[in-house]
Amino acid sequence: MKTLNLMILLGFPLAITAQNPIIHNQFAADPTARVFNDKVYVYPSHDIIPPKPEPGQNGVRQDWFCMADYHVFSSENLTDWTDHGVILSQEDVQWGNPAGYSMWAPDCVEKNGKYYFYFPDGQKIGRGFGIGVATADSPVGPFTAEPEPIKGVSGIDPCVLLDNDGQAYIYWSGMGIRGAKLKDNMKEVDGELQAMQMPQRPGGNAPQGQTPPAFMVAGQQMEGLPDGFKEGPFVFRRGDWYYLTFPWVRGDTSNGANPTETLAYAMSKNPLGPWDFKGIIMAEHSNRCWTNHHSILEYKGQWYIFYHHNDYSPRDDKRRSPHIDKIAFNADGTIIEVKPTLRGVGVTPANSRIEIDRFSTKSDDVSILFNDTLNTFRGWHATLPSKTSWVRYNDVDFSSVNANGYLTVCVKANANTTLKVRERDAKGKVIAQVPINVVSQMGNFRRDMSGRWLTLTAPLLYLPKGISDICITGEGDSISVDWLQIKKRPEYFSSISSPTASPDEQGFIRRWMILEPIDNPEANSNLLFSFTYMQDNLANPAKLPKPLPNMPRDGQKVKHDKQSLTWHATESNTYNVRLFRFADLLQKATYRVCFWAVTTIECEEDIPNVRLAAGSNGASMWWVEPAEGKTAENDKPVLMLESDRRMVADDGMSNRLTLKKGRNIVRCAVVNGPGLSDFCVRFVDEKGKPVTKYTIKN
Amino acid sequence: MKTIRAILFAALNCSLLTATAQTGAPYIHDPSTIVECDGKYYTFGTGGGGLISDDGWTWRSGGVRPGGGAAPDAMKIGKRYLVIYGATGGGLFGNHNGRILTMWNKTLDPESPHFKYTEAIEVASSDGMEDCDAIDPSLLLDPNTGRLWASYGTYWGSIRLIELDPKTGERVKGNVEQDIAIDCEATDLIYRDGWYYLLGTHGTCCDGVNSTYNIIVGRSRSVTGPYLDNVGRDMLKGGGRMVLAAGDRVTGPGHFGRTVIDEGVEIMSCHYEADFDMGGRSVLGIRPLLWKNGWPVAGDRFHEGTYAITSERRGYSLELAVNFTRIEQQRQNFRRIDPNEPIVPVPNQKLEDVIGTWPSGEIAVHCSDYMFRPHQHWTITPVAEAGGFLGGPYCKITIAGTERALAATKDLELNTVPQFTGSDEQLWRIEQLIDGTYRIMPKRIPGKKEINTRYVIYSAGDSTPTLAEYDFNSDNSKWNLKRQ
Repeated sequence: MKTLNLMILLGFPLAITAQNPIIHNQFAADPTARVFNDKVYVYPSHDIIPPKPEPGQNGVRQDWFCMADYHVFSSENLTDWTDHGVILSQEDVQWGNPAGYSMWAPDCVEKNGKYYFYFPDGQKIGRGFGIGVATADSPVGPFTAEPEPIKGVSGIDPCVLLDNDGQAYIYWSGMGIRGAKLKDNMKEVDGELQAMQMPQRPGGNAPQGQTPPAFMVAGQQMEGLPDGFKEGPFVFRRGDWYYLTFPWVRGDTSNGANPTETLAYAMSKNPLGPWDFKGIIMAEHSNRCWTNHHSILEYKGQWYIFYHHNDYSPRDDKRRSPHIDKIAFNADGTIIEVKPTLRGVGVTPANSRIEIDRFSTKSDDVSILFNDTLNTFRGWHATLPSKTSWVRYNDVDFSSVNANGYLTVCVKANANTTLKVRERDAKGKVIAQVPINVVSQMGNFRRDMSGRWLTLTAPLLYLPKGISDICITGEGDSISVDWLQIKKRPEYFSSISSPTASPDEQGFIRRWMILEPIDNPEANSNLLFSFTYMQDNLANPAKLPKPLPNMPRDGQKVKHDKQSLTWHATESNTYNVRLFRFADLLQKATYRVCFWAVTTIECEEDIPNVRLAAGSNGASMWWVEPAEGKTAENDKPVLMLESDRRMVADDGMSNRLTLKKGRNIVRCAVVNGPGLSDFCVRFVDEKGKPVTKYTIKN
Repeated sequence: MKTIRAILFAALNCSLLTATAQTGAPYIHDPSTIVECDGKYYTFGTGGGGLISDDGWTWRSGGVRPGGGAAPDAMKIGKRYLVIYGATGGGLFGNHNGRILTMWNKTLDPESPHFKYTEAIEVASSDGMEDCDAIDPSLLLDPNTGRLWASYGTYWGSIRLIELDPKTGERVKGNVEQDIAIDCEATDLIYRDGWYYLLGTHGTCCDGVNSTYNIIVGRSRSVTGPYLDNVGRDMLKGGGRMVLAAGDRVTGPGHFGRTVIDEGVEIMSCHYEADFDMGGRSVLGIRPLLWKNGWPVAGDRFHEGTYAITSERRGYSLELAVNFTRIEQQRQNFRRIDPNEPIVPVPNQKLEDVIGTWPSGEIAVHCSDYMFRPHQHWTITPVAEAGGFLGGPYCKITIAGTERALAATKDLELNTVPQFTGSDEQLWRIEQLIDGTYRIMPKRIPGKKEINTRYVIYSAGDSTPTLAEYDFNSDNSKWNLKRQ
């Protein structure tokens, strides 16, 4: 049955879809993005929460970077990312410390079908970082690490530039930023190594008064860069210009101040400089996340910057997540400073979950908070405190939905209010309007859903074309929104394009003239529909809608009690005729109603010994009569399905009857209490096989 | 030789006899599939909470299942228990927003220190506009593939199938829900012998003694359907073959669950919307589950009463090993029968006609031609204080009209004692097997510590019953009960 209790969905927010950050189930820092075979691959380092030390052991530092392996992620649209899993672990590097947790920022390039993965790692013997190479035949590995690190390249943050002439260069961070040519094998630097003194550090390992040992270094210092801490070089070429981009601490470090990293850049016509410092690409993170580390690439004609921020770890900036934003250049080749966004890049299909908290712009009073502070990976929501609050989200593709669609939204409120979803801005046309009724009273049943997440739906009032922006606004009381989504609805009916139709392969009649539902307020339950009720109400001429024409016209109006009702020509797209959806799409009452449907079938000759076979939700009554020559006998119903019915094909059958040569009228009335009302009907022969040799003429 | 076969599927009108219902406080709606955990049985119902039983027969409230909502299901996977439930209750007038969630527990015993549900995670939902209301979930772990499936939905639209990860209980990434039926409530998926079965509940619930709720089934060679009924009608067109409807003073069976106890020994759990003998309350029902031509069929509730117990091996009757007492009859020469002479019925042999000829002490039992004589009629009566097993009470089996009781001996044979004493070797566990026959096992073998679950009454020879290990594949293990 049709349980009469009123329940509502308690929605919990889920983190889905892209936007910034782009990876939602793990930390990932230092994103180096590369294009291979028209796909973008991101090779980040993989921040993890440091493992707790064994009892009695020092273990790894709990407040420091901790990275044990690398994943790679790929995407074709920069919004949907596939995690290809671990491609290299610290245990797989012969020269590395298998418990060093020092697999910092990597890079990957392709040459002649081979993929070369460059990565720093803590040395198994001795101090400091080495940089190794691992190779694979696929961008997603498996990668095999060389047994030794690259000679002369001590440090971190490798970046490899493959220049147009095929020459490869490696850049890294180690006592400043250095660069060197790579040999053709991509595994060795080209040129002499120089002996260099390890700088004496206060509190360093070298005994007092002794000179630290010399070691061999490749390549050259990059000249022309500003003072201040620099690391993470990323070099790319655009036209004739080479760009050396790098995290840079520009602030004053005296008096114990601790300024954080910007992203900065220098330009040159030569891959190894000297460089001309140009300024800032991205300012310091506003929340003092100390590091930033980036890569820049062109994909399908647009330039993007990949960088990181500690979104999911607000109190620990050693656990970071990758972002993407667009980046653009001035005519002289200089870079326009990038303002980081949460919206990120890419077009969001309207039928995916739109994380509105990853906004493009918003009013200042809107706050963005975690859904669950204990599990930050559950994402965020936006709270609109007032009538003037708004949140805008750009580039939504509406071509994925139709005007029959509806909005579904995950919201929370403390009082009854309304959320409006508009096109473009806070004054834009309303796409959908969602009443949020958190407190209601129905009889003795009081419902209070204030402060709880609810998933609500609302019909579309307007559907923007193509790609447009959305903007949500409140109506006064505070509303929190986690996500919204426009869903497509099935096409339950087609428009009628031909004068005749046939029954479908299984004999079901799909073309009907259906009258808008007649109110039947007493039908709270399908248990009402007894034999007596059906006789008294549906077979009683005094209670039928008038006129009940033999064959109504599309659009013909009738009056019944106080209702003005219209007949609609309909063609069901399924074997069953979904009366509930017929009413729903016309925005008429769907529950506690009575439906009437009529169709005409024309036979070339008498078809004797057939039965009308019907199923309905709920109870129904059926008539078959010749269009001409109506008699008292054939005006009687041929079948009644009483009581609390479910729609079952061939549930009930009429007695054997004859479909007369010429036109026959098939008519039914279906009463619905609380169900998803529908019916299916066909004619069958003595063996139960469908009869289809007739034409439907409506 | 006349083969005597009990009529197993006949609906018995037993309103004057005591039906054996679950005892204790078995009040529940939409019971989840019965799951055993550390020797106790658990089932969870609509609205939260659930029932616990120490022996599978006497139930009490006390199960703990947070989250509210409708019609949960539970399953043991590995060493943990996965519980799936709908957080909502289905609804009317626009509120068909539903959510299906899963959560794990290391134990189902709320007294255990390890009892702690993991945080529930959503695996499916309906937004109220779809032709589906995401409530009433059930679980199937496919024994062929190890893949975990869930069905859900109610009368409002379609029944849907989703795939879950058996390691996490989460929805398999990228899995798209699929319609497999319409207009059912409280569905359940099971697998047996190359077929997937989708059970659903049709009819009207929640209307007490007038509820027409009934359990129907369709089957498919593939878990994704199509699920067809016995006339080939798809459950997507409302098809379904009856498994259990009202009868025997209960109405409205709903929410099927299958539990396999042993090879060939299965039960189905459900609730009855109303048990007339329990004041019309909604109670837990456990019935034998039978399989007939590849279709599940509910067996009958067992009733105390007087039965002939005949072997499936030969059709001989279990009886006291006493002299066969002839009935005296005025025999006529058949050539001289006068057709006009009135017929005088021959009375049955009565207990008092023969009991004086029986020894007074222990009497052995054997098997012989069934002649509906007093030494062949056994009264089977539940023994209230003896407890039970999953789905039934321990019974005494006495010669009708006497206290002479069937007993197991320590050397794994059978005899009868003149007076039932209540000791365990005189208590019997009687279970209907999937083919409709019964196995009958003593509660304990004298001299053994443990409750017996191995030895059953067994046809050593046509005429010689004994106790031997249960073997579903041998008719020697099986007996038919025919009510007298």
